[in-house]
Amino acid sequence: MKIKNPLFIFPFLFVCFFLPSRPADAGNKVLKIVATQTLFADLVRQVGGDMVDVTAVAAPKFNIHFYQPKPSDVRNVSRCDLYVNAGLDLEAWSDPLLEAAGKRELFRHGPRNLDLSSGVRLLKIPQEPLSRAAGDVHVFGNPHYQMNPQNARIMVEQILAKLQEIDAPNAAYYKNNARHFLTRLEEKIGEWKKHCAHFAGEEIVSYHDDIVYFADFLGLKVEQYLEPKPGIPPTPKHLAFLENYIKEHTVKVIVMPTYYSRKEAEKIAKKVGIKVVSLCQAVGEMPGTGDFFSFFDYNINAVSQGVQ
Amino acid sequence: MKRIFFLFFYLFFWLFPLEVKAEVSVEQEVQQMKDQFMSMQKRLSELEGKVIKQQEEINAHASQKQAYEERIQVLEKQLTGPSVTAAGDSQPQRRILGKWNPEIGVVADTVFRIDSPKVDEEGADRVSVRELELILGSHVDPYSRLDATIAFSDFETPSLEEAYLTHFGLPAQVTARLGKFKPKVGKAIPVHRDSLETVDEPLVIQRYFGVEGYNKSGVDFSKMLNLPWPVTHQLSFGILEGGNGEEGTAFGETRRRPTLYSHLKNYLDVTDTTGIELGLSHMIGSRDADSHFEIQVFGVDGTFTQHLNVNQNFKLQGELFSLDRKETADFDGNIWGAYAQADFKFHPQWSAGFRYDYVQPVDNDRSLNPEKADVGYTGYLTFHQSEFARWRAQFSHTDLITGRDNNEILIQGTFAIGEHKHKIQ
Repeated sequence: MKIKNPLFIFPFLFVCFFLPSRPADAGNKVLKIVATQTLFADLVRQVGGDMVDVTAVAAPKFNIHFYQPKPSDVRNVSRCDLYVNAGLDLEAWSDPLLEAAGKRELFRHGPRNLDLSSGVRLLKIPQEPLSRAAGDVHVFGNPHYQMNPQNARIMVEQILAKLQEIDAPNAAYYKNNARHFLTRLEEKIGEWKKHCAHFAGEEIVSYHDDIVYFADFLGLKVEQYLEPKPGIPPTPKHLAFLENYIKEHTVKVIVMPTYYSRKEAEKIAKKVGIKVVSLCQAVGEMPGTGDFFSFFDYNINAVSQGVQ
Repeated sequence: MKRIFFLFFYLFFWLFPLEVKAEVSVEQEVQQMKDQFMSMQKRLSELEGKVIKQQEEINAHASQKQAYEERIQVLEKQLTGPSVTAAGDSQPQRRILGKWNPEIGVVADTVFRIDSPKVDEEGADRVSVRELELILGSHVDPYSRLDATIAFSDFETPSLEEAYLTHFGLPAQVTARLGKFKPKVGKAIPVHRDSLETVDEPLVIQRYFGVEGYNKSGVDFSKMLNLPWPVTHQLSFGILEGGNGEEGTAFGETRRRPTLYSHLKNYLDVTDTTGIELGLSHMIGSRDADSHFEIQVFGVDGTFTQHLNVNQNFKLQGELFSLDRKETADFDGNIWGAYAQADFKFHPQWSAGFRYDYVQPVDNDRSLNPEKADVGYTGYLTFHQSEFARWRAQFSHTDLITGRDNNEILIQGTFAIGEHKHKIQ
């Protein structure tokens, strides 16, 4: 078939373009919320209950640092009412994702962009001039603050305030959900602290520097990592150093995320006779970690068993 | 009588001294009482002082208690009934970066190339800094963003690779770009060379659009279509200046006659870890300044992505472009070119792949060789030293339509410093 005048397609495209978009919430009163990771998505769900429809960008099996957003993520963000993220520089792909979606109110510092790091006491804020010679240093401080369950109080308060702001008629409903969550959180924090009191002060070795907030909560000491510098894979020289370090400092366990190879950690652990424990970084990453509380139950039990 | 006298005397004697004694005693007692009174007064003053002091202490404790009670109320409120206002940023020591500086990044692309032709071509048989890109970008205001890429090379003059304004949130959620940019045609054209899986562009892109890709000045619009099924659709169209990239042959050299393009991207998440993308492209341009839209390019692209686990993934990608050039009365047909590529990341730091190229050249005498084409085979191995440094070894063999073969060995190092965020395609 020969097209006589192929230019006809462009007026058609132009009309298609400027047809009004269907509003994100047309015919549906629930708020569409996109969170960058599953732990944030679960917190939003705990506060928003039935009034929110939450999706997470990065599935739990991915390393949040290196996730590559897909076209479907762009579509989900372009349709959402609120974008919940870790802020800082944990999700380096976040700004390009928001720009691809093109919805201005979701951009960083926009009224529908909820940066959960606001108000959180950050650890390891670089005080020296930054250089990549020091590895993949985080500019604003260590961004893995969601690993301390006590920070959930601040995050939930922020989620509550934002939901009440954008959906005032359901403010009391959100407040009630948040109260229930925080009450349970206090009970669980007490329980977790009690459970872990016997190993407070012990030293552990971690694969990556994503454990600092969790260790701070449990009172554990972390001085050494399998990565010689953040983001730099273990080297034979560094592993030899760690082997001696673990012996001298009576380290009892090596902890690591599920998405790194356990090969090097297990090699050292076997030589010095300690355990290697995998910790979750995202809700739903391991079986039985489907919500915030079971996520921390899993991690705390794992460390507890490793240290014993 | 004597007795009475004696008795009287005795009484007088005793009574008189007693009276004197009594008088002395009263004075003493008065004095003592005075002393006692003074002492008591002093004691009372001391006690009053103590009472005042204790009262002050009580008041201090009361205010402290009140403060504690207020604090407890606040804490209880935090625990059982969250406040309406969110916690503010109470951490003054946070870093404020950049102030008004744009994001600045530099990407160095160094290539060591050995190839079989004995011609002293650009970068042949030596190590060259094929390209050093200076990448600048920042939001201009709440509505728009400016991005620019300036390319330097050790065998070419500096060039403005890209410089465009992106305007977000136009009516109906349309995003527009204005300036010089990479149009959203297919998969390889929109990305920078440092984001390709191979050292060079696929042969069909090199032959038809330009050896370094296709960047053109113009304006384009894109929009995510909001349709009620799980497939993602993105529609783009643009008006570009005419002409090709360096050594491209799809269109004529003239830049006066515009090239129009449109692209429809369709993507489906099969699972969390599997995705399929199918794209359709159309371009229409001119051969020279005296002609109007007689060259059409139809393109189709497909990509299949499978994440086996967090460190291993597999990607199949292919593109086909068909050119309808209306060359002469003798030849009014189409020529086409395509590539198919498989990339396997089998280790957190290693990946390898293969690309097959097939291109019917534009300037071939098709009346003599209607089916002849350049055919290329490329294999590569990539080592990701870190997030910002990468090494790649590549071998290419091309069977050229001229009858000669070309073999190429390329070693590439790509290094990035500063801010470097890839656009999401």
